[in-house]
Amino acid sequence: MTNFLAVTWGWNEMVWCTVISIALVFIVLVLLVFVMKLFGVIFAQKPERKLAKVAEKPISDEQLHEEQIAAIAAALKLYKSALHDRESEVLTIQSLKRAYSPWNSKIHGLTQLPDRK
Amino acid sequence: MLNLLQSNFALESLEKFVSSMGFAAFFSEMGWGNLVMILIAFFLLYLAIKKEYEPMLMMTIAFGMLLTNLPGAGLFHEELFAGGHVHWDAFTSHEGIAPGLLDYLYLGVKLGIYPCLIFVGVGAMTDFGPLIANPKSFLLGAAAQIGIFATFIAAYAMGFTPEQAGSIGIIGGADGPTAIFLTAKLAPELLGPIAVAAYSYMALVPVIQPPIMRALTTKKERQIKMSTLRQVSKKERILFPIVIAAIISLLLPDAAPLVGCLMLGNLMKESGVVDRLSKTVQNELMNIVVIFLGLTVGATATANTFLSPATIKIMLMGIVAFGVASACGVLFAKLMNCFLKEGNKINPLIGSAGVSAVPMAARVSQKVGQEENPSNFLLMHAMGPNVAGVVGSAVAAGLLLSFLG
Repeated sequence: MTNFLAVTWGWNEMVWCTVISIALVFIVLVLLVFVMKLFGVIFAQKPERKLAKVAEKPISDEQLHEEQIAAIAAALKLYKSALHDRESEVLTIQSLKRAYSPWNSKIHGLTQLPDRK
Repeated sequence: MLNLLQSNFALESLEKFVSSMGFAAFFSEMGWGNLVMILIAFFLLYLAIKKEYEPMLMMTIAFGMLLTNLPGAGLFHEELFAGGHVHWDAFTSHEGIAPGLLDYLYLGVKLGIYPCLIFVGVGAMTDFGPLIANPKSFLLGAAAQIGIFATFIAAYAMGFTPEQAGSIGIIGGADGPTAIFLTAKLAPELLGPIAVAAYSYMALVPVIQPPIMRALTTKKERQIKMSTLRQVSKKERILFPIVIAAIISLLLPDAAPLVGCLMLGNLMKESGVVDRLSKTVQNELMNIVVIFLGLTVGATATANTFLSPATIKIMLMGIVAFGVASACGVLFAKLMNCFLKEGNKINPLIGSAGVSAVPMAARVSQKVGQEENPSNFLLMHAMGPNVAGVVGSAVAAGLLLSFLG
């Protein structure tokens, strides 16, 4: 591997290093732009093709139109949002049984008031 | 009979105890330096706690600075890392310097372990979706890296060595772990000031960037509305980290540790099959490493290295680096608009997000954009250049390392 520091660094070397580095940063990232564009072409176009295929099929009279589907969806949404949740009315609080220990004893956790008799 | 009054034992013991106290060392040579450093540590703690300037790292850095400058504590010894090398013999020998806790922890910085582990966590927390949806953002991320190299030249002109200039320049990348990774390799003697400068300016991104963004754009440009980003498929999200890690590591092997770790973390998140690992690197691992990294980087800020004119120059250069990087991003976005069709134009405000500082820089783009047009939502568009900036600064660090390392 080239030892760049073996070269005495002066202004020439500094300027070249800067220019080359900026150029390389751009080259690497431009390369990544193309790679990601390629990604887009491969992966993002597939759903469009599917859609195109679907669109090519003629709509028969029995099939629903987009407006009808939207109207049904809106009606269902309104209907469901008007419904209240029905509770099962079953208590689901889990009962815990712990062995007695003075560390978790409730009586020891309470402030003991002085007995004024 | 015991003659207690005539015995010097008590006096000598007391004198010995007093002279061994850290307080006594404040009155020795360079003792004032420690005192000044402790005051600086207090100031940084104030910024971290009260002003919330990058508190996660600023607080630990400041506390490391405090610990290392407490005379007599012996937690950190610069001598063990003198000349930019680890003196392993001193760690194993039982004579001479007894290594302190921070000496051992600092090995993680010196060997480049902590920044890479942090990058695994950063990768797991980063959504590269906006970048995949709009790959042009990579160009804005590249343009913002010009700030690094402009500062590299400027620092050299101010009398720093090329290695030191490279380490100062990387502050412009606005990426703490990258700055620490590169500085620990090229100019470890400047690690303290560079880390403080990098994190201080990252916290000040909302103050530094808006005036530059407004000065370089017209009202009309700031109002540009960008089209909605396309949906990114899961396949793309999974393949992205694998492909990017492979390409960049093959092109720039010196950038492989940072980019590789960043992409590993992202793959953990996007694959969705290692949820436990993803959560661990985002939380527990990241938090533990941040503590070690902050403490040890702060520990390198001893009075000998920090209290010098070089620190002031680094602070000045740091702000230049941030300013130039932000300006280059904005100007490059304007340049791109010259070649883009009407309707596809980009809002130049997202260019400034090309400096990393995720997600602060993207938020600044959103905020400045909404000042001009409240119905304009630039956040997701700005996240593209923002995460491209992370990749770009890692590439720039790899290049500087290959030239100067």
